Amino acid sequence: MILALSLGVAVLFGAGAYLMLKHDLIRLIIGMVLISNAANLFIMSAGLTNGAAPIYPLGDETTDPLVQAMTLTAIVISFAVTALVLSLAYRVYVSHLSVDIRELSRAEEMQADRDDEVGQPDPEKLGAPYTDAEGDRRTVAQPPNKEAQR
Amino acid sequence: MMELPLGILWFGAVIVAMLDGTRRRNAVLSIVILASALVSTLVLGADVYRNGTQEMVVGGWEQGVGISLRIDTLGIIFAVLSQAVLLAALVFETANGIKARIFPALVLFMGLGLTGVFFTGDAFNFYVFFEIAMISAYVLASYGETPRQFRSAFIFIVVNLLGSMLFLISIAALYHTTGRLDMVGIKAQVPLVAESPIVLISATIFVAFGVKLGLFPFHFWLPAVYTGTRASVVAILSGALANIGSYGLIRFGADVLPRELEFGAPVLLILGAVSIVYGGVQSISRHSANEVLAYSSIGQVGYIMVALAIGGEAGVFAAILYTVINGLNKALLFLAVSMRGWLVGTAFAIGAFSVAGVPPAAGFLGKLVLFQAAIEDGSWAIVVLVLLGGGLSFLYMFQLYRRRFWIAGEEEEESAHLPQVIVVGMAVGLLLIGLWPQPLLELADQAVLGIMGTDTAP
Repeated sequence: MILALSLGVAVLFGAGAYLMLKHDLIRLIIGMVLISNAANLFIMSAGLTNGAAPIYPLGDETTDPLVQAMTLTAIVISFAVTALVLSLAYRVYVSHLSVDIRELSRAEEMQADRDDEVGQPDPEKLGAPYTDAEGDRRTVAQPPNKEAQR
Repeated sequence: MMELPLGILWFGAVIVAMLDGTRRRNAVLSIVILASALVSTLVLGADVYRNGTQEMVVGGWEQGVGISLRIDTLGIIFAVLSQAVLLAALVFETANGIKARIFPALVLFMGLGLTGVFFTGDAFNFYVFFEIAMISAYVLASYGETPRQFRSAFIFIVVNLLGSMLFLISIAALYHTTGRLDMVGIKAQVPLVAESPIVLISATIFVAFGVKLGLFPFHFWLPAVYTGTRASVVAILSGALANIGSYGLIRFGADVLPRELEFGAPVLLILGAVSIVYGGVQSISRHSANEVLAYSSIGQVGYIMVALAIGGEAGVFAAILYTVINGLNKALLFLAVSMRGWLVGTAFAIGAFSVAGVPPAAGFLGKLVLFQAAIEDGSWAIVVLVLLGGGLSFLYMFQLYRRRFWIAGEEEEESAHLPQVIVVGMAVGLLLIGLWPQPLLELADQAVLGIMGTDTAP
């Protein structure tokens, strides 16, 4: 059982790490999800005892309820973060029309060149305007890739 | 009483999250909430200072069953520092006009997460509060919502999430090897269990906090994020959020796993030294102001590592002082560099003096304590290193000062009044700490006693 679990953790972590090296943001996010699941499995395996349900113990040995509580918390947290990252990936796509990391780093390099000329980056003058109450629509309606075009 | 700061922030954050933060009224409300949390933390701090470490178990459970809050002087120092930086950044942004309705609530949530991290006595609870702070930081990093900020926020999330996962794994491993989750229990159990797994766990914890701090081999995300985001957000990230990293290293290193910290001291020393030199050299070669300051933070973190590597009471004392002063320095500099005007220029100069370690400013104190620790330790290489790092930081800070405030473009107008007042207030604070360091020294001394006191006894 320990061997199976450690193999499972290793495969999940390895696959996640491999995906995180990809150029595609979506693959990268899937890699993050796999790694967080590897962590969850690892927590479960940290309290590996074979026994009765801990809610009303009758036998001598009960399973460890603490690791289950911890895993549940960790799952909820990673779920929230995944939702956040996906929404951010969407905003990146909308503002760059690409989810390829090479495209993004090209935009970053152009930005760095401009910074060197100006001396100080001024976030207010770069690209899309700020969002306020109805800002979402405005940002989307903007011509994308504005930075790359300059 | 103990849970009051957490309670104020928690309910305050939830209430403010439902309001429109772009309205000045709501922003002022969130400032009042944060300020009252800071006041209650200070009152609590006075109590802890007089009566020693306080403990309580959440939800009325028995000791050892429920999740415990454990507040010692170390936690109070870090909580006050973080809340003060958050308050300054929030007032700063309110004065400049908040651009996103969620901003004040996020600052409060981050305050909650940070305060919780510093107050908790439970390793898993540490992770939960840590994630509350990190998630608000993830959202804050994209504040401003330009394409560039989305890019930097994405980098920030990916790297730091990996760090969080490593931390989670090491907590599970700690639980597996020691069978405990409360830090006091872990500390008691660690000497009794096998050494090699604990060394591995300590290395993972170190990597996790190294990522948060932006220490040398894990620094790659930091310049991109710090240059991309807005001044108030960078001040929050570098002055408040980065404290998690140094607090975690002090708490888990010096407090819970002192034997492993000593074992890893050579690694800390080398990484710290490389960080100092690398950060200094990179800062000199950079032109954009935020980039110079970002690399400067990589260098400054190196000093904290070196202090921890020296170890012992003197080393931990220096690490605490240096973290506090560095947090204030960086918050002040990142705010000041985004503005114009002679008042701001003066404040920036004081911050620059502080980073370089020139006497009237607080930074001198940090360097002095580090010197003392190094000399006590008898390691002259560290003394030379600190001197070299100080020289480098003097160079890049004044390059930056010259570029930003001496040869200022005339077309830029002077910044608004209130933000300038905040920055000047922070600069005065730095000067005060430098001129009258006794209270801070005494607090740090007590914090060290709280951590190491039982440890040095036979």
